[in-house]
Amino acid sequence: MRAVLALAHKDLRLLFRDKGDVFFTFVFPMLLAVFFGFVFGGSGGASKIDLALVVESDSKIAAGMAADLAADASFEVKRFDTRDAAIDAVRAGKSTAAVILPSTMQDGVEGLFSGGGIPIDAVVDPARRAEAGLIQGKLNELAFRQFPKMFADTAQMKRMIARARKSFAQSSDLTPMQKLEAGALFSAIEAFSSSMNAKQPDAKSDAKPDARPDARPDARPAAEPAASSQSTWSPIAVNIAELPARAGQPRSSWDVTFPQGFVWGLAGCVVAFASSVVSERTRGTLARLRLAPITGLQLMAGKGLACFAAALLVESLLVGLAVVGFRSSIAQPVMLVVACGASAFAFSGLAMLLAGLCRTEAEAHGAGRGAILILALVGGGSIPLFFMPPLLRTLSFGSPFRWVVAAVEGPFWRDTPLADQVTPLVVLMAIGLFGFIVGIRGIGRPFGR
Amino acid sequence: MREFAYRLHLVAASRDARVSLRYQPFAAPMLTIRDIRKSFGQTTAVGGLSLDIAAGEVFGLLGPNGAGKSTTIAITTGLLAPDSGSVDILGLGSPADPRVRMHLGLAPQDITLYGELTARENLMFFARLYGIASPRARVDELLAQVELDTRANDRVATFSGGMKRRLNLAAAIVHDPQLVLLDEPTAGVDPQSRNRILELVRTLAAAGKTIVYTTHYMEEAAKLCDRVGIVDHGRMLDVGSVSELIARHGGQSTVTVTRGDADQRVLTSDPVAEIAHQFAAGGVTGVRVERPDLESVFLSLTGRSLRE
Repeated sequence: MRAVLALAHKDLRLLFRDKGDVFFTFVFPMLLAVFFGFVFGGSGGASKIDLALVVESDSKIAAGMAADLAADASFEVKRFDTRDAAIDAVRAGKSTAAVILPSTMQDGVEGLFSGGGIPIDAVVDPARRAEAGLIQGKLNELAFRQFPKMFADTAQMKRMIARARKSFAQSSDLTPMQKLEAGALFSAIEAFSSSMNAKQPDAKSDAKPDARPDARPDARPAAEPAASSQSTWSPIAVNIAELPARAGQPRSSWDVTFPQGFVWGLAGCVVAFASSVVSERTRGTLARLRLAPITGLQLMAGKGLACFAAALLVESLLVGLAVVGFRSSIAQPVMLVVACGASAFAFSGLAMLLAGLCRTEAEAHGAGRGAILILALVGGGSIPLFFMPPLLRTLSFGSPFRWVVAAVEGPFWRDTPLADQVTPLVVLMAIGLFGFIVGIRGIGRPFGR
Repeated sequence: MREFAYRLHLVAASRDARVSLRYQPFAAPMLTIRDIRKSFGQTTAVGGLSLDIAAGEVFGLLGPNGAGKSTTIAITTGLLAPDSGSVDILGLGSPADPRVRMHLGLAPQDITLYGELTARENLMFFARLYGIASPRARVDELLAQVELDTRANDRVATFSGGMKRRLNLAAAIVHDPQLVLLDEPTAGVDPQSRNRILELVRTLAAAGKTIVYTTHYMEEAAKLCDRVGIVDHGRMLDVGSVSELIARHGGQSTVTVTRGDADQRVLTSDPVAEIAHQFAAGGVTGVRVERPDLESVFLSLTGRSLRE
């Protein structure tokens, strides 16, 4: 065992001394995972935020908000008929958030002076929390923009004040004097509203978004979520909720792209270690290793252990980055560890297979890397399997990378039943065994017999 | 001391490769090669070569490039399987057995080191591979022996050819083997490294190691080796000490006697007697003796020069 560990330690040290191998094994997969995460639904910084909008209310304020949202430069708004359809769009990564203008909006408007608030619902992708604050602020801002229109509507004002008068009259907390003073205040507001309407028949002109000096997102009048505190009254109640996890659906694009990162990480390991074995042969160090008092099996075990450790390391880095950096949550942690181990074993075997098939370093770097690249692409390394056309999806069964994606996605976000995870794990173990057996034969028995 | 070492035969005593020392008769072979043959396609690399090398002996395999020396070494170490014939080391059996290989050390003709690792990391790796109990102490000792202790932490890729050769040799003996096979260890090195390597070989010989030394440098073989085997076209042409080979195949010495302006060349098997005879005749103003060497032996045995 000491010899096996010495071999593995040496190979890992050699791997980390080669900047190219380190990049392609560890850095490149993470870059790809992040890159594709952004491509498939992450934040692009300057790009617009995709909103799925559902207008359940037929009130004027809802129509005004919908129009203002559509006109806002920060958003790309797509209308949906139902709340579920909008949330599905968020879940699929097509929209960053769903904004629902509920049917209770009109009640909120009319109860504005009697302690109510105008409700707005939003559901955001948990992986896009950075944008959630901006969305909340924008919704507050746009809701406040509707106020001049509300106050200019005499009939609506009368309904609001009538409701407020009723509420005050029924209140047991107020003294008769306070109720009288409030009644006088409401009469004055009614008179003011009527006079304003008479002087400015085109009151809508005041509500033009561009005419407001505080139209910038950072100048919004109310950014604090009203729903967050029951004791603090706010005329706008933006209820933001995170998308609930649902088995079988990715919570974000990162759930899809990080298993893809596994593909590239393992591909890097395979090529790096296959090349290292071939290099040992061409440079003569393999002869020295064969001369050592170790068996051929120990020699391959040492090589395989180094590859296995490197594969596990890159898988751990990818999972860590997904969880810490992109707030992915793992559905089945234990099974994910098993899947990582199985895929690392499979690709250690593949590295040995490639080492056995390639006779020169040029073959390992050229043909070997090319073959692995094609298998990785077909296996879902660039385009997720569910985006592939049926023919490619069928072909993907011949790629070992496809089984890695299947084995990892199950416990990562699909929350696949354990029985369904057995097949990819068994296939990966079989690939590993096949690779080791054929690889050892290909590399040659230690003493040429 | 050397004679003492000749009589010291180290025998593997246990499976975990610890060794015990006991006296053995000189005749007990460290390495026995019996009629090994190896062909690559139509080319015969080794054609029926047999050899016995005693414990503590420094044996030279002398032959030109392509004579079959490296193939013989590869078969001896088990890196190459012979088409026929057998190899036995220490009476323990074939080098296919890892326990037998524990007693072998090989410095191949090519530099077989990891250029991306430092000198120390290379030796530490090989020491751990062989299960050395205190690898750091052994590695420090070896680095000092090959005068690379000041460059111990530099990457091998930055070393000169001679430094790499010395480290290559150190890697071959890191586990203190009884049989050391050195395949052209001085090929392409600077004089300083060559001297250091030859000195190291002498040190190993003095410590009782059995050494098989392949070279096509006659002077090295003559200086270092107790016996020399002349190899050509994969066959052992003759084996013996340098003086024995010269006596058998070197022919006569040439004594050149100068009298005034005239030179007279005389072939003789006893140059001392011939010189005495010439002086007795009188008028001798100068004498030069040319003794036969291994080159003469090789020429005699093969009909061509060693360096052709």
